[in-house]
Amino acid sequence: MRGGSHHHIGYQRDDRFIPCHHHPALLLEMVREPGLDDHKALRHTGLFPDDLLDTSARLSPRQYLQLVHNIRRLHPDPELGFRYGQTLLPGHYGAISTLLGNAAHLDQALITLEDYQPLITPLLAPRIIRTGEYCCVQWLDSCGAGNEYRFLVESMMSALASVTRWLSGGPLPWTFQFSYPQPDYPEHYQVYLGSQLYFEAQMDAMLIPAHYLNQPWPRGSHTARAVSEQQCQEQQLALGCDTSLVHQLYLALIERIREPPSLDTAARELGLSPATLKRKLKHHGTHFQDLLDRARKHTALHLLQFYGYNSEQVARYLRFNDNTNFRRSFKRWTGLTPSACQQLVDRAMTALKPL
Amino acid sequence: MWGFALHRWKWFGLLTIASAILALNTLTGTLKPMAEVVWLDIAGEGGAALLVLIWLALMLNSRPAGRVTNLLALGLSGIFVAYWQDVMDEVIQLPATIVWDHWLESGAMPVGMLLLTLGLYHWHKEQQAICDQLRKREKLFREHRDFDRLTPLTRAGYLREHLALASRCAAPPVLLMMELPDFDAHRRHLGERDSQRLLQEVAELLLLNLRRNDLLCRYAGHRFAALLTDIDARQALDLARELEQAVAAFAFKSGQGRTHYSQLVVAITEAGADPPEAWLERANRDLDEVRRRRAANVAA
Repeated sequence: MRGGSHHHIGYQRDDRFIPCHHHPALLLEMVREPGLDDHKALRHTGLFPDDLLDTSARLSPRQYLQLVHNIRRLHPDPELGFRYGQTLLPGHYGAISTLLGNAAHLDQALITLEDYQPLITPLLAPRIIRTGEYCCVQWLDSCGAGNEYRFLVESMMSALASVTRWLSGGPLPWTFQFSYPQPDYPEHYQVYLGSQLYFEAQMDAMLIPAHYLNQPWPRGSHTARAVSEQQCQEQQLALGCDTSLVHQLYLALIERIREPPSLDTAARELGLSPATLKRKLKHHGTHFQDLLDRARKHTALHLLQFYGYNSEQVARYLRFNDNTNFRRSFKRWTGLTPSACQQLVDRAMTALKPL
Repeated sequence: MWGFALHRWKWFGLLTIASAILALNTLTGTLKPMAEVVWLDIAGEGGAALLVLIWLALMLNSRPAGRVTNLLALGLSGIFVAYWQDVMDEVIQLPATIVWDHWLESGAMPVGMLLLTLGLYHWHKEQQAICDQLRKREKLFREHRDFDRLTPLTRAGYLREHLALASRCAAPPVLLMMELPDFDAHRRHLGERDSQRLLQEVAELLLLNLRRNDLLCRYAGHRFAALLTDIDARQALDLARELEQAVAAFAFKSGQGRTHYSQLVVAITEAGADPPEAWLERANRDLDEVRRRRAANVAA
């Protein structure tokens, strides 16, 4: 990574650390056919065809996003993201693939994804929420994906659904929830993900009843895990961070959501000046208030959806002085009133209830 | 699309004949004085000859070699030769004793037209045969954007349009939703290229086992949908069993030549009073149910 002294603040858009021969090469392979020139797909990425075979070549998140953009323009087939996703995990990325491929149960697989996120899903960060009854894997934009965000969600959800089906030896009853409206190609969602799909549901997440977390999987090897885990730790140590700047700040805000720090405090804790933090966030297509709103919105949603809180309880938890104030803020975050939102998430939750 | 190489003998032949005509004219005749030359005639006849050449090039470029192509090429060549001799007549004065130029002018044109007509007639027959072959893949109209890149089938968008049309039929149409339930696991085993080829070959196999008027499309991924009209419940069930058996008996060969067997699960869903979208939803749910029952049976 670039700029050795900045490691602890998380990786950024222009840090070159994504191995070319991992995800990017897989994506190119999906669309490579006789007659198609790699040069077109690599335009403005700063990459050359030879880099794809060079195991030391690295891409920044920005370059990887540019590659996704180019390939989607050359191949507008909406199935691409889902097919690409199926090939992503556990992948052939060395230690991290061994670690994931030898998970003893779903929980271990999810912990692996979360702990070593930069090594295996650099553009979209998973956040795992365990509520006792349910487990929720929420996918979050870690580097400002912009127009490529939906493609990334499609591919990572398809990746996790496929790898857990393979490792567990059968399909798992995931329920899928999306922040965006249903695209005009629902068939790919149905076939690659499953039939429990909820669009316009405020967040991009995969839900499953908690008792699936610890059901033993047939492939897990303890020794292989122990060795590869050590290698992953070393790789992440060399990288100097365990997530992106944006995601790290988001998580820090979530952690102290009842008394969130100001921009100045947050910047000081990262060892940056407020102006620098502002500039860096802007470079990732976001700003401090936007991240704070996102963290509060997601907290409110989780409380409503998983913990059975009502609107007043959520308002009290988030330390709003009065309910009207909370309703106004909630409407600004989600476009819905808390009760309308409650009804919406209840539909997804009934699908999760054991038969 | 078929390139120059495929038809190079045709072009070579035409070039030889055109040069021979030019040589014969210049050897036996004399150039007309400038005053006698009518430039408008030269432009008209020369332009016609050039246009015929363009037609020939366009036609050859879009067709494979074969009888129909040969007839069309011969016909257009005849017309070209007649115009070419016309152009020669405008600039070269042949002795009155020579008659072959008249034969070329007045003979090549009707013969060429006759051959062209014959060629067009056979082309029409050929087109009918192709349409027959495509019938199961595309029903009433052809829409380029709905075609699948992977298989020769149409996609879900095309199916949705046809559900609306089919639900207006007298007898309730039937939708078969089909899936290779273990495809994702097989994909990891076979690799990307072979698993895509498996889908292509299963698509062909399903087409072979369907009736002439059935529409087959690749819904998404490893899920196919067949729309059956004029069919009763008994026949639909038989057809579904036949498709399952055909896929179960299919010995797919991987790139390394190893045999690989697949299973197909089929759900049969009749059209009801509900709108096409809801019918499609119902068909997908039925397939989920069939798949779940099958998994439960395997486990037990």
